[in-house]
Amino acid sequence: MRRLAALLLLAPLLGFAEPATLIRDTELRAAPATDAPVVAPLGVNAKVDALERKGGWTRVRAEGGTEGWVRMLVLRYAGTGEAKQGDSGIVQILNVARTGTSGTQVATGVRGLDAEQLANAKPNAAQLQKLQGYAASGDAATGFAASGKLEARKIDYPKVGG
Amino acid sequence: MRVLALLAALALAAPAAAQFNINLNRLLDVGKNVQKATSEVDEKEEIEIGRDMAARLLGAAPLAADDALQRYVNHIGRWLALQTERPGLPWRFGVLDAPQLNAFATPGGHIFVTRGLVARMQNEAELAGVLAHEIAHVLRKHHLKAIQKAAQLELANTVIGTVARRDDASNRREKLLAAGSELFARGLDKEDELEADRLGVVIAARGGYDAYGLPAVLQTLQAMNPADSGLALMFKTHPSTAERLEALGTMQPTLDAYAGLPQLAQRFAGTVRR
Repeated sequence: MRRLAALLLLAPLLGFAEPATLIRDTELRAAPATDAPVVAPLGVNAKVDALERKGGWTRVRAEGGTEGWVRMLVLRYAGTGEAKQGDSGIVQILNVARTGTSGTQVATGVRGLDAEQLANAKPNAAQLQKLQGYAASGDAATGFAASGKLEARKIDYPKVGG
Repeated sequence: MRVLALLAALALAAPAAAQFNINLNRLLDVGKNVQKATSEVDEKEEIEIGRDMAARLLGAAPLAADDALQRYVNHIGRWLALQTERPGLPWRFGVLDAPQLNAFATPGGHIFVTRGLVARMQNEAELAGVLAHEIAHVLRKHHLKAIQKAAQLELANTVIGTVARRDDASNRREKLLAAGSELFARGLDKEDELEADRLGVVIAARGGYDAYGLPAVLQTLQAMNPADSGLALMFKTHPSTAERLEALGTMQPTLDAYAGLPQLAQRFAGTVRR
C-alpha cells in the first residue's frame, strides 16, 4: 500500500524509468546530498534506471533493485527511452496539418524549421510586428520575478575554459 | 590574418584585373571597403541585422498563437537579460509554432524557442536555462561575428570575381543577411555553444533560478531518440548533448551552489498548454 502511494506520487513527475549508464565511478547515496550516507558504490558503465530528478541529483534504481541518489551529471542516457520504434512522427503529422489548413501560409514559402525550410523562408514583417507587442518592460519583468520569489544575485562568469 | 588573406586574394586578382583594363587603385579601394564593411558594425546596425534575421525566422515558423505564453517568455527573458551586461538592448522573446526542438538567437536580442522544445520541459527553470543560453550568444556576439566572417569571405570572392560589382550599403546588408540565414542551418563554432552553456547556467542563477535548468533540458534531449526528425537540425548545429553535459562538469561548483533555487514548476504548468 505504501509502495502504491509512492508510485502515485511519482507518476506526474516521471511516467517511466529511464535507462542510463554511469560515465564514472560514483556512490549511490541515501539522500540527494554529498553528506548523505552511501548506500553502495557504483562503477563506471554501470546500468541504472533513472526515476526522479531533484536539483543536481537523480534518484536511480541500480541493478539488483537498490535505490538511491547520484549526481545528475554522472548519468548518460541511452537515447532510446522514447520513440523506441524510430521517429515519433510528430513533426510530419504537424507539418502536414499546417500545410493543409492554410493556403496563404504555403504561398509565402516553405514553412518549418528544418535546414531547407529555413534557407527558403521569406521575411514576415507582420509576425515581427506582433513580436514587438509582446515585449516586457524591465519593471514588468521585475514584478514577474518577485511574484515567483526569484531573487537576483551577483555571480561572476566562469574564467575561460572553466 | 584576415587582412593577410584578403591582400593575398587581391594580389592574385590583380594581374587578371589589369588584363581586363580595370584600375588597380579601384580594386584596392574595394578591398579596403570590404575590410571596413565587415569589421565595423555598431550596436544600431547589430540590432537591425538581428531584426531582419528574426523576420526571416518568423517567415519559416510563425509565433505560437498563445498570448499568455508569449508574454510569459518575455517576462522570463527580460528578467534574465536585466542580470547581464547588456540590459538595455531591445530584448524580444518568442515561442515559434514549430514541432521541432530548437532555440535561436539573432544579434541585438531577438530570441526564439520552439513549441516542440517547450513541450518537453518540466518547469520554468528549464525554460530560463535555454533562454539564458541564447542570451549568452547575443552578449558575446557569436552570430554577429560568424556572419561578419562569412560575409567577408563572400565579399572578398566578389572582389575577385566581379570587380565592377557595386559595393554600396544595401549590397553589404544583403550579404550580411544571407550569411545570417545560412548560419541557422550551419550552426556556430563548437566553442561558442559550450561558452553559451557555461554563461547560460550563470545567467539563470543570477536571475534566481535553479541552475540545473539547462543541464536538465540537455538530459531530456539526450534521452530522446537521436533519429527523431524533430531533433535533426539542432543536433546538426550543436555539439552532442553528451559532450555539452560533460563540458558543464567544470561548472559543478556553480551548479551546486545554486541548485536549491526555485524551479517554478507550477507557474510553468499553469501557462504552458501541451
